[in-house]
Amino acid sequence: MAKNKAELLQGTLDMLILKALSLGELHGYGIIQRIRQLSDEMLNVEQGSLYPALYRIEQKGWVSARWDVHDTGREAKFYKLTRTGRKQLETEEASWDRLVLAIAKVRQAT
Amino acid sequence: MKWFNIIRDRLRALRQRETVISEIDREMRSHVELQVEANIRAGMSPREAREQAMRSFGNVNRAVDAAYDVKGGGLLETLLQDIRYGVRMLAKHKAFTAIAVITLALGIGANTAIFSVVNALLLRPLPYREADRIVMLWEVTPGGRHQNSASRANFRAWRSQTSSYQYIAAFSYQRYNLTGAGEPEELSVQFATPDLFKVLGVDPILGRTFLPEDDGDGKPLVAVLSYALWQRRFGGQPNIIGQPITLNGVKYTVIGVMPSNFQFHMNQRSGTGRPPDLWSILPMPLDGNERGRFLATVARLKDGITVEHAGAELRTIAARLSDEFPEFNKNFSAEVLPLREQFFGNVRRPLWLMLGAVGFVLLIACANVANLLLSLATTREKEIAVRAALGARRGRIVRQLLTESILLALFGSALGLFFAWLGIKALIAISPRDLVSLQSVGLNVTVLFWTLGVSLLTGIIFGLAPAFHISRLNLNDSLKEGGKSEAGHASGSRRLRNALVVSEIALAVVLLASAGLLIRSFIHLQQVDRGFQTDNILTMVVRLPESYREDPQVIGFFSQALEKVRQLPTVRSAGIVNFLPLYGGMGSSTGFKILGQPEPPPGEGPSCDVRVVDADYFPTMGIPLLRGRNFSRPELKEPRHVILINEALARTYFSGTEPLGQRLDVEMFDTPQPAEIIGVVGNVRYDSLIDESPPAVYFPHPDLTYSFMTLVIRTDGEPAAIAPAVQREIRSIDPNQPVSDVRTMNQVMSEWVSRSRFNTLLLGLFAAIATLLSAVGIFGVMNYSVALRTREIGLRLAVGAQPRQVLLLVLRQGLLLTIVGVVLGLVAAFALTRLLSGLLFGIGVVDTTTFTMISILLVIVSLLACYLPARRAMRIDPLRALRYE
Repeated sequence: MAKNKAELLQGTLDMLILKALSLGELHGYGIIQRIRQLSDEMLNVEQGSLYPALYRIEQKGWVSARWDVHDTGREAKFYKLTRTGRKQLETEEASWDRLVLAIAKVRQAT
Repeated sequence: MKWFNIIRDRLRALRQRETVISEIDREMRSHVELQVEANIRAGMSPREAREQAMRSFGNVNRAVDAAYDVKGGGLLETLLQDIRYGVRMLAKHKAFTAIAVITLALGIGANTAIFSVVNALLLRPLPYREADRIVMLWEVTPGGRHQNSASRANFRAWRSQTSSYQYIAAFSYQRYNLTGAGEPEELSVQFATPDLFKVLGVDPILGRTFLPEDDGDGKPLVAVLSYALWQRRFGGQPNIIGQPITLNGVKYTVIGVMPSNFQFHMNQRSGTGRPPDLWSILPMPLDGNERGRFLATVARLKDGITVEHAGAELRTIAARLSDEFPEFNKNFSAEVLPLREQFFGNVRRPLWLMLGAVGFVLLIACANVANLLLSLATTREKEIAVRAALGARRGRIVRQLLTESILLALFGSALGLFFAWLGIKALIAISPRDLVSLQSVGLNVTVLFWTLGVSLLTGIIFGLAPAFHISRLNLNDSLKEGGKSEAGHASGSRRLRNALVVSEIALAVVLLASAGLLIRSFIHLQQVDRGFQTDNILTMVVRLPESYREDPQVIGFFSQALEKVRQLPTVRSAGIVNFLPLYGGMGSSTGFKILGQPEPPPGEGPSCDVRVVDADYFPTMGIPLLRGRNFSRPELKEPRHVILINEALARTYFSGTEPLGQRLDVEMFDTPQPAEIIGVVGNVRYDSLIDESPPAVYFPHPDLTYSFMTLVIRTDGEPAAIAPAVQREIRSIDPNQPVSDVRTMNQVMSEWVSRSRFNTLLLGLFAAIATLLSAVGIFGVMNYSVALRTREIGLRLAVGAQPRQVLLLVLRQGLLLTIVGVVLGLVAAFALTRLLSGLLFGIGVVDTTTFTMISILLVIVSLLACYLPARRAMRIDPLRALRYE
């Protein structure tokens, strides 16, 4: 489970994106919005960070993409969670929980 | 799944870069539009909405780049980009590219050519099964002469007493006359014990090789043909097996033919060592000559036995034989030599030296090209600065520049391969015969890989320093107007450049020193007092077959031949001898006793070379008669027990006493046969030009009637011209008698020095190329320096300096560089020329004259190279220089 800092950050972003998509198909802009929403405006993902992460996730096969027309008539590329992606999300969430637990224990020591 | 996606994306990106970028772009724009809409919904005006959206999106292009990094072509694509860019760059600076490519081609091509020789002779496996298990066995004489042939008795002892070998075989060479359909032809025949082909492990392409049953009294005589003989003489007919052939009048049956690439041949230094045309069984009757030493022995080691172990075992056996049979083997030892060592041991050192030398040439070429790159850099400053400003990291720029260097190197090596191909042809043409006869030298896969490796290495070597240097440029300065700023990067660059030139010159000095030493050595070799003349003398060998059984027949043939030859026009004199000086074979050293002196203990008696001549041999070869008289006519018709000795023998064994009239018993005969010394002749360099002449005894032909003798004929004018006439005369006596080894004495000499000449030519060529390249290097550096300092020089001229002073300034600068280089080079030469010690003759490895001369030469060359730039500096128009910013 040991990861270095960059991987940790990356993994976290991946998890957020997967979580956002678990609630339904979204385009890039929508993913950013939903993460903001879910976190009560506390997490604001930059476009410059989002898309590379999104493409990486797509390469790994956790999401699939297609062009479609948005309700307002604009076209956008929509991303959907795949079954592998759903499983990956569970794994990521479990390992995140473990990490939080471990850190909490350390913090409790006086 | 993941890898598949990644590779799919990368490949797609390579093919459709535009598509991938545009798709990313499309997605980014859609994102922005969505943001704009959201902004408008939140109440902003359309313009505000768009501004905010753009601002919050940040740099679109950077985002696209970051996204593309994930989806894009990755490393491969940047590499392709670099390559395309590099090719464009090289095409733009044509002059630079041309000079650089040619320089590299010279360096790489020379390396490839030499390496292909090294590969063929020293690295490639020999054409026998598990050739590293094959060894040669030799005797070592008490006098320390190595690789001495063995006697039959000793070979039998080795065969029965050693346990290190799977198979062991002995062989020797003879020349036999092939008669029958077609011209009589003299063949080189290798006679061997039946196990020879088992030792070598090569199968015939037709028929079979020897079996133990083929050996023995009364067994039919068998012959195995070489491929070349089979094709040449028998038209390659497939039914040759079982056919009879006639050698020296005796019938042999052909039992097999060897493959076309099969060769097994002990090289002798002169041309008399011809590769065998034919193999037959070596007769070893027990009542034959058991003591004469004329056998070569080859064996295959058993698995697990080392050469050292076999050598120790053989030495032990030799010591035992020395004790058991002291009158014959006393103090003789033995040695075991791996086969490759036997074939190429004496060329290994020179070849590696050549490879080193040619490596130096390549380094010099690299230094030149590096300098060229540095000079080019200033022209490209702006371009590189722009790339850096646009965000290219330093590592990326270095990678780009290195790619260009490697491209240059690859182009250089392509042209270099062509040079190498030419060079190899030339090498084969001028090389000594024994060097290339065994393996074919050419551009093969190993050599090509080597070339590729060398080019990549070269590209990195000459590209690295300039690349790092250039990428470190203070780019802000270059982006401003007046980019050719001298302060800042120019001084760093100048140091690097000067360092490169100084090292070039040092390397050139080492090469020149080596070449100079070899040249002087070669000249010394030519000037040695040989003891005989070489101009206008024709030689040829006549070997009479066994049908000439009786001595009077042999003597009669040769005296008749000499009579006829002497009648030919332009012939001044003609004689015979058993072996020519410098004929290259092994000496036949035999013991002798001086009658009237106490007998020395066995193994310590005097020994001498034995030669057989007629009286006219000495005047024909220009060998002086020092004391006494030559052989008389009666002494040339019948044995009269007289001999001539040479000065070395007189000096060694008769110093202080009178040799004339004394009697010697030379141990060549079954019964003692003392002969009277009637004269003393001059010394002749026999084994080699380098070694002193050994003591020698000359028998008149009737006393020791060899049936093979060498005719020597002195002519007025061109000796080779009468060769056909001589052959006709010989055939008029016996129509079936061929002659062989027709050469002039000058050719014999030339072949003897051919190895030395080859080394000298080659090293001289490298030194010349190195000097030329260094001159170009100095020229380039000084030229560039003058160009850089145009303003400063213009200033000097403007305030009153004489043009001549400017000229001297430039020359002084160049001279300084040269002198530093020469000094460094001399230091290196002192250290390195000791590697040449085996190749030199009559001259030490550190020869003051040579070193001084080449230093002066190099200084002159570089002054010449500086001359043009210096003149250019002199001609600078101060007004224009100052105005030109």
